[in-house]
Order: sequence, then C-alpha cells, then structure tokens
Amino acid sequence: MTEKTATLEIIAPTIEEAIEKGLQNLGLPRESVDVEILDEGSKGLFGLRSRQARIRLRIKETGPLIEQATTKEKTDSHSEKESNAEVEDKTPTATSPDIQTSSENKVLLVAKETIDELLQKMNVNAEVSVHFGEMDDKSGTKPLLVDINGNDLSILIGKNAETLNAIQYIARLIISREIGKAIYLIVDVEGYRTRKEQQLQKIAARMAEEVIERGRSLALEPMPPNERRIIHIALKDHPKVYTESTGEGSHRKVVIYPK
Amino acid sequence: MQELIEYIARSLVDDPTQVRVSQQRSGDNVQIRLHVAQEDMGRVIGRNGRVANAMRVLLRVAAAHDGSRAVLDIAEPR
Repeated sequence: MTEKTATLEIIAPTIEEAIEKGLQNLGLPRESVDVEILDEGSKGLFGLRSRQARIRLRIKETGPLIEQATTKEKTDSHSEKESNAEVEDKTPTATSPDIQTSSENKVLLVAKETIDELLQKMNVNAEVSVHFGEMDDKSGTKPLLVDINGNDLSILIGKNAETLNAIQYIARLIISREIGKAIYLIVDVEGYRTRKEQQLQKIAARMAEEVIERGRSLALEPMPPNERRIIHIALKDHPKVYTESTGEGSHRKVVIYPK
Repeated sequence: MQELIEYIARSLVDDPTQVRVSQQRSGDNVQIRLHVAQEDMGRVIGRNGRVANAMRVLLRVAAAHDGSRAVLDIAEPR
C-alpha cells in the first residue's frame, strides 16, 4: 500500500467534526492516524466568509490489520454505488416512455465517460457516479448530478470552488455537444455543494432575523450567481423580508430588506 | 497536460482535425500552445474567455501533479 492511498481528506464544518468523520470512515481509532490540517476553516462574522475545515488523515503504520480494514471500506462503498446506479437506471419515471428512458441512459453514459476522461487527463484518481436529480419546477428539466469521490478532494474543489466550477462548465459544454442538446449539469465533490447550500440557507435565515430585529436592510458578502440564487430561494416565501441583488460582476451581492 | 487540452479542444470544435497542441518545458514551467481552425477560435475561447479560463484552471490541476506550472496560449491562426 503506497502512502498516497493511506491518506484521506475530509471536509466538515469544524476540524473536530472532520477528524471524527474521517475516523469513522476508516474505522480506525484516533491513535492510528496523523492529522494534517489543510484549512482550519473560519466561522466569520455572522457566518459570512465562513469556510469549512479541511484535514488530511494519514494512517500511521499500515499493518496488515489496518490495510484490510481500509480495503474493505473501499470495496464496500464501491459496490454500494454500483447497486445504486443500477436501481437508478432501471427505474423509469412515471411520465417517460421507453424512448426517453433510453436517451436518458445515453446521457448518463456520456456524462460518466466525459468526466472520467477529464479527471484521468488531469492526473486525478477518483470515482465518478452519475444520476438524475429531481425535476426542477421552473425549467421542467431534470438536473444531471455528478458525484466525484476520491483522495484528492482539495485539489478538485479549489479556491472558492474554482476547479469544481471549471470541471462543471467544461463537462457541460462537452456533454451538451455530444448529445446535441443543452443539459443542466451539477458536479459535486464529496457533497461539498450540498453542505455549502445548507450553510448558505442557515446564513439566509440568520440574516433575515437580523433585518427584522433592526428594521433595516442588510447586504451580504459578494457571491457568485449560484450562491445568490440559494439565498433568494431560501427567503422567497419569507413573510417579513424580501431579497434583491445589487452590484456588478464579481461584486454582485444579495441585499435583504424588511417588508 | 497536453492530452487534457487536446481532449477538451477536440470535443468542443467543429473541425477536430485542425486541433494541434504543442508542449514546451523549461524547468518547472510548461508552455502549452493550442492551435485550432480560425472558425473554431470562439469555441475554445468562449464569451469573455470563459472556456479558455476554465481550461487554464484544469491545466493547473494537471500540472500540480508533478509540481510544475503550466500556461496555456491559444495561437492566432496563420
């Protein structure tokens, strides 16, 4: 077992939670690993500018017992993913005739191949799984969700999800072109976007309280469009506040107003 | 690195036969040059250089693997 496969990167709200999660994943006691802190994360003011903590666990001595444990873990999660994909494939949606199902399968296949190819050429070792998400009410299309799991998590996300967004953008262009129609693609690494979304929803709720209490508007930090969208949606039906975006380009931010 | 840019460019252009990628290394610095057909320039650059910039981000990851720094130049067609 090489040193590389004996490390695991974890992202969680705090360092403590990250360590705990990592040990659980590995099925190892605290004494068996070295913890390297890659990013301490920060709570930030009112949860603004908050970053999640990133750590790397390195297994100290890869004795035969430990090796077995990690290998088992890997095979387990692998087979789980495969069986999930199978279930997904065989479940036809209520409205779709066979033709649609087969074209959906083709999209899944093209998406998986494209992302695999990109990652391989980026020298990144990772597991890719693809499936369709819930139908989006507004656009009437099902988003294509791609999950990437592996050891090089940090590098795949990048600063402010820069790498993740680049993969998503390039992959969307390639896949759309390949299948001849525009697709709605979301690429996630180890649930990073999901956690980020929950984080933003919490911020939205907290800031809304603040606005009501003070009775005047508050501006959030500048955010990219997808993150502003999460804030807007989170407060869309709020009885006491409403939201608007102001500013241009990378300075564009959400302002929360009392109603 | 070269293969990454070649793969992305070939997948995005109308004329993949015109895609040429060269790679020049000096120490830790790698220069990648991408040539495409005149008509395909827009596809590999994108609006406001969005495609080119995304390729640069991914190239950086590929380069980080062996500790090098890579720059991507998109060559003007002759």
